[in-house]
Parts: sequence; C-alpha cells; structure tokens
Amino acid sequence: MSTSLLASVLDPSLFVPDLRTRRKESVLGEMIARAHLAGAVRLPELLRETLVLRERAGSTAVGKGVAVPHARSLSVSEPHLVVARSRRGLAWTPGDPQPVTLVLLALSPAEVPAEGHLDFVARVVGATRLQRNRQKLLEAESFDAVAAVLREVVA
Amino acid sequence: MSETRHLLQLHDLDLLLEEARDPELTARLRRLGFGPGDVAAIERSRMRLLAQLDARWLGSYGRALQRYGRGLAAVRDRVCLGCYITLPTSASPRTRGTLTLCESCGRVLYWH
Repeated sequence: MSTSLLASVLDPSLFVPDLRTRRKESVLGEMIARAHLAGAVRLPELLRETLVLRERAGSTAVGKGVAVPHARSLSVSEPHLVVARSRRGLAWTPGDPQPVTLVLLALSPAEVPAEGHLDFVARVVGATRLQRNRQKLLEAESFDAVAAVLREVVA
Repeated sequence: MSETRHLLQLHDLDLLLEEARDPELTARLRRLGFGPGDVAAIERSRMRLLAQLDARWLGSYGRALQRYGRGLAAVRDRVCLGCYITLPTSASPRTRGTLTLCESCGRVLYWH
C-alpha cells in the first residue's frame, strides 16, 4: 500500500479520542459502531464476529501498548483505518501486564488479496514502532494531528 | 442467525483461515509482532457454522471455493466482484441482502 493510499484510509469520523469501554470485545464493538455510523462498515455484527474470532485465535496486540486488530470482510467496501485511544488502558492480552492505550483497526474489503491487506497492516504497525511516534499519536489533540503523524511516519 | 448471515460469516472466516494456513503470511504477521494464530480454533468455528448451513448453498459455495479460492462474491453496481462480469438486470433480486448464484462463475453472490 502506498503512502497516498494510507492517507486515503484516514477519515476524521473514524477517530475515537478516548474509548468509553475497556473490555476487548466491547472496544471492538465501539470502534465498529463508529465506523458503521460513518458509513465505512455495512454489516457491523458480521465484522464484530470476524474480529472477535481473530482475537480468540491469537491476540492482535503488537507490544508497547499498541493493538492492531484487522480483517478483510464483506462488511467493508473500501480500506479504512479506525484510530482509538484509551487513557485508562485496556487489558488486551490475558497475562500481559502492559495495558493497550492505542488501538488501530485496519479494515480491507474482502476482494483485497491477503498480501495486500498485510501490506496495509504492516504500514499501520510500522507507524507505531518508534516511541516518539506513539507518544505523538497518544497526545495529539485532534484527528488532524493524528493524521499528520501517520502521514509523516509513512512518508 | 439467517442463512445469509451464516454464509457471509463462513466467507469471512475462510479469509481468516487463508491467512492462518499460509506459512509465509503467518511468518510475516509474527515478524510484525502478532501472536501465533490458533488455526484449530478457527477450524472448530467453521465446523460449527457448516452444521447450520443449508446443503444447497453449501454445495455451491464449496464448489466455487475449491475452484477459485473464494466461494462467495459481493455484487457492486451489478458487477460480480468475483469474475467481474456485468450481471443482467433480471439477475437482481427484489430484496437487498439476498443470495443468488453468478451465472458466469458459479460463486454465491451477495447483493447489498
């Protein structure tokens, strides 16, 4: 996925500055509801089931307080990235003492090949690798600031 | 859960399985920091789902899955997103969310 394509998946209505929920399944539900409201997801329940199943099969926490749940689904017609933060932190992986504070939900349409979807996921994970970038994403005061960080990181 | 929902769920689950069974893709996910995927857990969910599906849809889905790697395709602007043929107007179902079969490739079609 090119830089411009990553920029194109960013949408101000897909930003949750501080999650209300704390349980993993509820968090996914909250983020999907936001995406559904923005018109980015057609079948929220289907997507939720797919994401929950992926989590049961293996956690999507990638370390340093970041989780990148992701899916290709019939519920999605265009690639989208839903960005959410939790000031209190989330217990994403059982037994992991580090709470997740940044959740980046990467969604691709079902027609996208697995390799293409993983390119997208790799870009998203890469954007959070450096501590200073994570800090900027956590402290950004608006969606524009979050988008600026993501664009700068993948440029 | 309706028949349509079950089949859509099966399709999304098969996409997950495609990633989880591919050694190159799983190795890439591991390098990105993701935990090991439990293929058996996804397969168990698939078995449970299969038991709830109508044999007619399951047969069509299974044949297309075996042939093309995808058993179901969405329809956008009357185009099958599996084989990209433009479907005749008469193929459009009266209700959204209905399943039909693509006359060209045989995939189950999801009209939304």
